[in-house]
Amino acid sequence: MRCNMYPTIFGLYEPSSIYDTLDFLDNGNAKIIAGGQSLIPMLKLRVIQPKFLVDLNKLRGDLDYIEDRGKSIGLGSLATHAKISTDQIVKSKIPLLSVTASKVGDMQVRNLGTLGGSVSNADPSADYPAVLLAYDATLTLISSGGERKVKASEFFKGPFSTELKDNEILREVEFPVLEGYAYKYEKIVRRAGDFAMVGIAVLAKVSDKVEDLRIAYTGVGEKAYRPYELEKELVGKKVTRDDLEKFAEKVSATLTPPSDSRGSSSYRKKVAKIATIKTLSEVLGVVS
Amino acid sequence: MLVRPGEKVKVKVKVNGIWYEKEVEPRKLLVHFIREDIGLTGTKIGCDTSTCGACTIIMNGKSVKSCTLFAFQANGAEITTIEGIGDSKLHPIQEAFKDNFALQCGYCTPGMIMQTYFLLKTNPNPTEEEIKDGLHGNICRCTGYQNIIKAVKDAAGRMR
Repeated sequence: MRCNMYPTIFGLYEPSSIYDTLDFLDNGNAKIIAGGQSLIPMLKLRVIQPKFLVDLNKLRGDLDYIEDRGKSIGLGSLATHAKISTDQIVKSKIPLLSVTASKVGDMQVRNLGTLGGSVSNADPSADYPAVLLAYDATLTLISSGGERKVKASEFFKGPFSTELKDNEILREVEFPVLEGYAYKYEKIVRRAGDFAMVGIAVLAKVSDKVEDLRIAYTGVGEKAYRPYELEKELVGKKVTRDDLEKFAEKVSATLTPPSDSRGSSSYRKKVAKIATIKTLSEVLGVVS
Repeated sequence: MLVRPGEKVKVKVKVNGIWYEKEVEPRKLLVHFIREDIGLTGTKIGCDTSTCGACTIIMNGKSVKSCTLFAFQANGAEITTIEGIGDSKLHPIQEAFKDNFALQCGYCTPGMIMQTYFLLKTNPNPTEEEIKDGLHGNICRCTGYQNIIKAVKDAAGRMR
């Protein structure tokens, strides 16, 4: 067996129900594996070295649902990116999530990777966190002690860090259906298939003026970021190119992106500014 | 089912129509299971980080990267590798790659062909943009992709 790029030795638990899973997690030192598209690279790099993996694949049938509840859509955490990006309910009711799912990784990764896996992993450059913030999505976390609901704005804590406790799993993400909103997910990458250097998720309701605006960023800080206060400056206005430039300048000034192989901090701030102007011009229909 | 650290897990998979059952460590990657335990070395390991796509296979009808998948995750699955698509003669995708000079060193080719196999099954008549999106998880360092895209278009025609 090769010694490079191999995880440390671990045991395996294959639960037959979600309750088995929760009981097992109470013992500690276990990590959940769903699609494994975030977890396996981390295991191979030995960034994490759990004693056990808990394989949720047998529970897929119970936890990969996409449920239309009228005013909201509930997605089970084991729904794959491929399923989300091609599902008709998602496409028509929460289209920003649909287009974002189609931009996660590449086709092979989307065939295995799951919504819950990506969201729980909370990579600061991942695509979904920005979309969850823009929708103000609600996450359902479950442990042997019961269930609790958390807003996206409270769920993400920092790089690879969330509200999830070691004995909890993410069961569902629920998105409100926002009627009549324009949307876009702009993902700027250094090369095809990479994580976002800057990602921008926008939802906007526009008539002759901007009635509601939600803009959230990924890749430009320790976690996904939504400038709630600055958003309000554009609401109620007929937005001009000049307004957008000022808005983008202010947002960019609040960002603290990391410097890494995808780009330096100052470069990312510039890219975020330009991408903000470009994306909002398109979504809000501002002629330059 | 509980497998303690250090113990092995039984994995049963159907590869290219034949069932194989082996006891392996839970940490064994599917690509090593296919290459070393079953002996099918057509599937390649390039980057080992889920970037290059050389290890692409079809599992339960979907293309996946077998370097980023444990063998136990494939338990019970049906798998097709590059050895399994052509019967005794070349598959039309393989012929199209050959006729369009869509390879130089050939290392990425099994992965390219398996991803093309999945792409054309889900979308028999893809546009150039759809081909690029479909293959962007497969990296080729020789050809510059032009002939690969040509080959995929050609293969789509041959398979219709």
